[in-house]
Amino acid sequence: MNNIQRVASSAMTIAEMEARKIRHDSTELWMRCVQPALWLLIFGEVFNSIRSLPTGGFSYIQFITPGVLAQSVLFVAIFYGITIVWERDVGLLTKLLSTPSPRISVVVGKALAAGVRGIFQGIMIFALALVIGVNIRFDPLDVLGVFVVVVLFAMCFASLSMTLASFLKTRDRMMGIGQAITIPLFFGSNAIYPVSMMPQWLQYVSAYNPLTYVVDAMRSMLLTGDYSGLPLDIAALLAATVLFVLSASILLKRLIE
Amino acid sequence: MTSTQPLTAGTSSEGGAAPLAIEVSGLTKVYSDGTRAVDNISFSVKEGEVFGMLGPNGAGKTTTIKMITTLARLTVGSVRVFGVDVTASPQDVRQMLGFVPQAISVDGDLTGYENLLIFAKLFFVDHEQRKKRIQEALDYFGLADRANDLVKHYSGGMMRRLEIAQALVNRPRLLFLDEPSIGLDPYSRRQVIEQIKELNREFGTTIFVTTHDMSEADELCQRLAIMNLGKLAIMGEPAELKKSVGGDVLTVKLTGPMASELPATLGSVVSADEGTIKILTADGERAIPRITDYFEGSGAVVESVSLNRPTLDDVFMK
Repeated sequence: MNNIQRVASSAMTIAEMEARKIRHDSTELWMRCVQPALWLLIFGEVFNSIRSLPTGGFSYIQFITPGVLAQSVLFVAIFYGITIVWERDVGLLTKLLSTPSPRISVVVGKALAAGVRGIFQGIMIFALALVIGVNIRFDPLDVLGVFVVVVLFAMCFASLSMTLASFLKTRDRMMGIGQAITIPLFFGSNAIYPVSMMPQWLQYVSAYNPLTYVVDAMRSMLLTGDYSGLPLDIAALLAATVLFVLSASILLKRLIE
Repeated sequence: MTSTQPLTAGTSSEGGAAPLAIEVSGLTKVYSDGTRAVDNISFSVKEGEVFGMLGPNGAGKTTTIKMITTLARLTVGSVRVFGVDVTASPQDVRQMLGFVPQAISVDGDLTGYENLLIFAKLFFVDHEQRKKRIQEALDYFGLADRANDLVKHYSGGMMRRLEIAQALVNRPRLLFLDEPSIGLDPYSRRQVIEQIKELNREFGTTIFVTTHDMSEADELCQRLAIMNLGKLAIMGEPAELKKSVGGDVLTVKLTGPMASELPATLGSVVSADEGTIKILTADGERAIPRITDYFEGSGAVVESVSLNRPTLDDVFMK
């Protein structure tokens, strides 16, 4: 086996480890569907009746469906830093790193697992959208494209979270930073209102907010069918993912020293 | 008849000097806050040996293990495992090792079988060999009938055994055990110790164990090093170390006249008060009748004599 095969094989094993845990107990996965469901069913329904937001000709609930999906994947992914600190605390990380598997495969494997959880979120949100009659484009290629974006996005933020964990090192701090990252990203993005409604300063912030690009990519596939911004969205996401996977792999050993 | 496959890949050396499993020279670890956790230590472990490292908490044992197993970077010095430099080729080194960390760290949310499967894969054990090795490890550690239960429902002793089994699916040439019997009840502890001894005896696995339990080290290890404040205080065979403490101690209880001095051939008085006298002597068992005769000859009545051999505790406290 050459090095790339070893990384791929070990990353799949780490992801398999998580998949097996989910198979034994999937409670967490289902609980994580509650929040996005509330956003769609309550927030979405209430604001749907106002019809004064400039949502580009779409109903408000159509408008926020991609936003809620992106947000729920973000919340799943940002959790991985806490998981890795916990695994360090119980000695599991030390043992994973004592195997000949390359360190980057631990990061990629965890990030892939975040992607799998993200896909599950996607399926649940699509199912809910179908049930409550949200009109989105269920074209197979678009849905596939959304899942690709979901996996990349989950990998990106899971790795960012693991990178932060290697500096912060404790679960409490990671809980804090998780909140401090997700909430501003969410409200400073186009997830639940259009950028044009924001005050000028927030519009600037939003232009550098990765969530904005993710929501934009999802919205183009699920609602508008206008793919012109898609290559940039995906390229930016891919670059950020590679960057964070590498930083987490290099810094991971800080956790066990 | 089923052929028994070795659980580890220990190789027997044919004549000549046994190759060194571990060569540590001038090893030093300074943490970023300036703490010298390990301070210029050198030692070697022969292939096929059970080597123990003792020391109080914070002596630097775990840091030393971490550097040998490539988990922590060394600051100064060099470490070779079967001739391979840990800094130059960490992945090759890890491929030869099994590591059982201090805290129980099997994954409670997976079954016993899955814990072994995942680690077999992470050690790149061949697909064809995997199932067989996992089954053998489960059988060897008496876990086969609980293999498909979630590990969080296991007892502490079972988790410890699973943990060692996990390190063995790789057939390591060198096995590290960091405080292997910590937190176990006496029965489970005994089981774990017997299994470690058997691994060494049957398969020639080189074993590096840290502990602060002296009796365990005495029973398990062929050679010991005692570490304190980041330095190696003393190293040798358990019997040798005990001899260095200076012999056996006899405690004699008697009534009647008490001698405060003894002829030098019998030993020397360590302490004497209220009918109890402690005597340090080279060979306690042989000295008992002679010392009894001596006291009775001087008109005292000897009520009891007890013999204390030095334990590693004494070496440790020294």
